Amino acid sequence: MKKNLMTVLAALMAVSLTACGGASANTTASSAAASETSAGAASSSAASSSDAAKLTIWSPTDKESVENWWTEKIGEWNAANPDIQVTREAIDRSDSYAYDNKVATAVTSSSLPDIFFVDGPQVSYYAANGIIVPLDDYFTADDLKDFVPSTVAQCTYDGKIYAMSATESSVAFYYNKDMLREAGVDVDDLDSRTVDNPITWSEMRDIAEKCTTADHVGTHIIMDHGEGLPYALEPMYISNGKDYINDSGDTAEGYVNSDEAVKTSAFLAQLIADGYANIEPITDEFLNKACATMLGGSWDVSVLSENADFDWGVTYYPVSDATKKAVSPCGDWSAAISKDCKDTAAAGKFLQWLMNTDNVATYAAAIAKPATRNSSYETEAMAEYKNYPLSLMVEQLNNTASPRPRTPSYASFSTKYAEAMTNIFSAAASDHKVDEAYIKEQLDSVAADFTEDYNTYYAK
Amino acid sequence: MDKKNSSMGRNNILKKVLFYCGNFIIGIIFVSPLLWMVCASLKPEAEIFANMNSIRTFIPTHASLNNYIEVFTRLNILNVLKNTFLYIALILIGDLFLNSLCGYALAKFDFKGKGLVLNLVIALMVLPMEAIMLPLYIEMSQLNWVNTLQALVIPFIPKCFSIYMFRQFFSDVPDELLEAASIDGSGRIRTFFSIVMPISKTVYATVFILDFVAHWNDFMWPFLVMTGEGKRTIQLAVQVFFGTQPVHYSAIMAALVISAIPMILMFIFMQKYYVEGIASSGIKG
Amino acid sequence: MVKSKAIKKQSESVAAAAFVGPAFVLLIAFLLVPMIYTVYFSVFRYQIMRPNDITFINIENYVKLFKDPDFWHAFRNTLYFTIVVVPVQSALALALALLVASKTRGVAFFRTMYFAPQLTSMVVISILWTILYNSNPSTGLINSLLTSLGMESINFLSNPRTAMNSIIFMSAWQGAGYQMMIFIAGLQAIPSSHYEAASVDGANSFQKLIYITLPGLKSTIKYVIMITMIQAMKLFTQPYVMTKGGPQNATKTLVYYIYTEGFQEGNFGYACSAAAVFFVIVVTMSLVMKRLTTAKE
Repeated sequence: MKKNLMTVLAALMAVSLTACGGASANTTASSAAASETSAGAASSSAASSSDAAKLTIWSPTDKESVENWWTEKIGEWNAANPDIQVTREAIDRSDSYAYDNKVATAVTSSSLPDIFFVDGPQVSYYAANGIIVPLDDYFTADDLKDFVPSTVAQCTYDGKIYAMSATESSVAFYYNKDMLREAGVDVDDLDSRTVDNPITWSEMRDIAEKCTTADHVGTHIIMDHGEGLPYALEPMYISNGKDYINDSGDTAEGYVNSDEAVKTSAFLAQLIADGYANIEPITDEFLNKACATMLGGSWDVSVLSENADFDWGVTYYPVSDATKKAVSPCGDWSAAISKDCKDTAAAGKFLQWLMNTDNVATYAAAIAKPATRNSSYETEAMAEYKNYPLSLMVEQLNNTASPRPRTPSYASFSTKYAEAMTNIFSAAASDHKVDEAYIKEQLDSVAADFTEDYNTYYAK
Repeated sequence: MDKKNSSMGRNNILKKVLFYCGNFIIGIIFVSPLLWMVCASLKPEAEIFANMNSIRTFIPTHASLNNYIEVFTRLNILNVLKNTFLYIALILIGDLFLNSLCGYALAKFDFKGKGLVLNLVIALMVLPMEAIMLPLYIEMSQLNWVNTLQALVIPFIPKCFSIYMFRQFFSDVPDELLEAASIDGSGRIRTFFSIVMPISKTVYATVFILDFVAHWNDFMWPFLVMTGEGKRTIQLAVQVFFGTQPVHYSAIMAALVISAIPMILMFIFMQKYYVEGIASSGIKG
Repeated sequence: MVKSKAIKKQSESVAAAAFVGPAFVLLIAFLLVPMIYTVYFSVFRYQIMRPNDITFINIENYVKLFKDPDFWHAFRNTLYFTIVVVPVQSALALALALLVASKTRGVAFFRTMYFAPQLTSMVVISILWTILYNSNPSTGLINSLLTSLGMESINFLSNPRTAMNSIIFMSAWQGAGYQMMIFIAGLQAIPSSHYEAASVDGANSFQKLIYITLPGLKSTIKYVIMITMIQAMKLFTQPYVMTKGGPQNATKTLVYYIYTEGFQEGNFGYACSAAAVFFVIVVTMSLVMKRLTTAKE
């Protein structure tokens, strides 16, 4: 009996082992098959709807207006294209990494959908690992001219386009005019700033200092312990002279832990050490009138216009006093075609349609984010982007936006950087002072972890 | 004599007063965070963080159910509750049925490999789910179960702790009873269902309660395997709501209260079993 | 007679297979097999996005793990949480149980009060206390109480020295009601004649507690400590919701570490080595605990 049991055990093991091993074997087979079908797809696409191409799309779950947009648009497409039937699956994002987990699982089991949405900086990660395929056949250089340069840059890896986005994002400096006036800050001056004359760090600090009272703090630094930190803060680093990672995406040493980066981190930490920004901001702190200013996203415009019961304004992302170089964040979720897609021609055709001027405009309007296509701004759906405050976001995107580092080790970098900054901020909050040696130590470990991840998986 | 009696009476009254007042004060302090939660859920957003340094923070002066209405419009709470109850019910059915059969055989049957099975059950009892979640997750994706009910239910049906509890309980069932049934010509399966099960309500109630509470609190596993909207469990929904713009603290409080209501109802209606279940787990184990 | 016994035995084996089989197969498939896989993958370099590139690297993952200061942070934090929360929560539960063990009228009401935090979930409690613990007195209830009492506000969750203790306090508060119920049952099982005899001998309440109540609760206490401990070792939800393992790694636990390494960063093989070590730690702790409690008898 004992022997029998062992056989059963062994059999069970064997079954699941082959399942695991089989997955990797299947992957190669299916990617080979995929390239074959894509060659033959054009000839077979005229087939009847019974053997129509079936495409599945994954994108993050969003608010009702966006969900409705998808339903309507996919209905429209399916009616017009009986040979390519599309279904969309909305994927939850209960934290900034949950979506990636879902993709990771699908990679392991070779069950990726044909098209899926990827956050901007993750494009390199997926591209380097062969999870997504180049789209150069579907988006020519000519097509790309209509897209804002930052989008094209973020979606390019190793000289090829791997994804395409309909929407962009930006971050700017929001201020509660009521609170600023009360503190004696010249609100009219802030209102009158232009993209060539943004406020500087020291001005930002001044305002924060003046506006810190018993009831609210002067400013707000994002504290999501996740992707929000590297995203919203990167321009500070670039403006001060050094980005997180070099341009070719293989070195963090001497970048994220450079003297310039230490100074930048110290500036931010000082705001916390002095009590001008909360170490534990409540969520939507600005909307809840617990802070007077904030570095907030372009998406906050709609949240504030619908919900705020105070007078607020927004101006350009602050620049370093030393360089005065204007930089702003950008990047948003982009659509990519997966390696498991059986009919890339059909998927490419659908993507071209999805990213046309009208769809980009209506999608951007539904999700309340700036569109990526310049021509989309001419449509009625995007009319409000002609006026302040949304026009300011578009202006930043066209003039100062800089994409996040394009490196396959971005996921690892992002986690480690967010952790290091959280540590730096919490040390500043508990000691009421900023220790540059500690900042250096923390950023050194970010650089070291990056190097290790890159060398383990990607170095040639 | 009279005097002594009255002093004792006074003593008793004093004791009673102390007992009630003491417990009341400690109890109020103990539940004050929950009271604040309920109060905040009834207040308009602007008043939540006002008057925090006075007792007025516990008094919703402009009480309304607006926050609850907001939760219902923004979050499909009925669907979420349906999902949660469905998966927990399925786990419970599987758990109570299969594990009790297993526990019964381990207690009353004599078969080859019994020692092995029993040892395995005891050994795996300490195996925390967290230590195996990575491969289990891969297993789910290989079976194509991610984002399906199966992933939430099937891996959690086998439970060493339940098997062990059932075995301990059934060991105390007198053999004579079973033999009498067998003389009557009742088969083993019939004996189990018609004789053993009816006299074992306590152990079933215990396992039911312990399992229900454990799975009601499930967070990590649903968080990993259930990513589709419309498939969220209650804990996930609350967590997502906490992080979705616009964040209204009053509405979050309302969502927290709503998520506690099923457990409160369960406690009210099943209090006897609930308490007995928790308590007997201690005595049996 | 001999023959019938053999038949009985044979039919019993068939029945046993039917009774044990389903649960056993599921047990193997969803507990044992994943466990074996945890160990198996722990000796491979396996990035979750690169399923075609799984390389055997011997014990390299373990070497890296034991060199990683973050892992040791997680290890120490888990141990600290367990060692502190188990006695605190058990003592609190026992104290509450003593308060409401008597069968006085209305006692059920007080029991319900102490049990109330159990009726919400850990996620709910964590969200609620994140708000209560907020560092700013104008938005955090506890800090507003402290400042109105003339004390300084505390960055409960963002100061590495207080973050874990804040989580411990909250967890003990939430969990005590459950253990209280177990203790009440234990208390009621102690024969009242013991107390009466002690009263006749002139023992005061404290002596009764030491000489009658605690010895009478021995097996209950052991059980409570055991379940609280195993629960405590798995700490994840509170740091996940409240602190994301920070600040300065102060609330990073072993399970949280496994989660970030495996799921967030995709270092699957490496995370498996951490999970295997975690399992060994849990088993060791349980065995040590068992040895300690049986030695006392």
